[in-house]
Amino acid sequence: MEKQAIKANPQQWLAIYGDQLYQYTLPRVNDSAIAEDLVQETFLSALKGLPGFKGEASEKNWLFTILKNKIIDYYRKKSKEREVIATPDLKGADDDWFNDEGSWAENRMPKDWQVADNPVERKEIQKIVNWCKDHLKALQQDVFTLKYMEDMESVEICKVLNISSSNYWVLIHRARLQMRDCVEKHWLKN
Amino acid sequence: MKKFMMKYLMLNCSEATMLMAKREEGKISLKDRVQLYLHTSMCAFCRKFDKQSLLIGKECRHVHTDEKLSVNAKEKFEQLIREELK
Repeated sequence: MEKQAIKANPQQWLAIYGDQLYQYTLPRVNDSAIAEDLVQETFLSALKGLPGFKGEASEKNWLFTILKNKIIDYYRKKSKEREVIATPDLKGADDDWFNDEGSWAENRMPKDWQVADNPVERKEIQKIVNWCKDHLKALQQDVFTLKYMEDMESVEICKVLNISSSNYWVLIHRARLQMRDCVEKHWLKN
Repeated sequence: MKKFMMKYLMLNCSEATMLMAKREEGKISLKDRVQLYLHTSMCAFCRKFDKQSLLIGKECRHVHTDEKLSVNAKEKFEQLIREELK
């Protein structure tokens, strides 16, 4: 049986996918005006590419693929606009977190906490994760977002953000330390 | 001798947590992998760090907002799409 091609239905896009696209974008760019712009650009690109839409992917997947590219473009542009490429200070990078021997500093030692695998607790932890991510320092936040929210490989992230591989590992390491610490503080407070 | 062995064979917590980030992309050697295993089998703090960081990474993908597109944006987009489809 021949597979039936899915037909695009652009009149319905806004009603069906408008909010979904926006809700995906906002936590990834952390600014509602930018998120709206990216959704708008996604619709425009999709309309322009409509003749090329062969219905191989679902309409939804197709729109999200376009959106993800827009998000990466946004980060690429942002990195070009950054005046000085912030080079993390490699020496002393661990000062806050570890002592001279490289063991956990006393006030940074991970504590015991768990999240039950139920919708209520997971929703709560996701909220905290998002809050903590929004409060990471600029470049750490970009690296963390692309790695864990957009699921990109480090090599691609280095290209998009125009940073060296050694900078990347320092940034992601510190972002992970910061994130876990922040999530722990907020989770245990609840 | 024991101290010497510890120093050269064992990772410290700073190195171990860095390797955990690299391990996510499969970018660590067998030697690193063994060292990381040895370290975490003895260090409860790094074990917690690892487990909790994995959880954070996993939940990141599911983060989304409940906020919706503003009415203004919706009107603007609707017009835009209508124009383009003409």
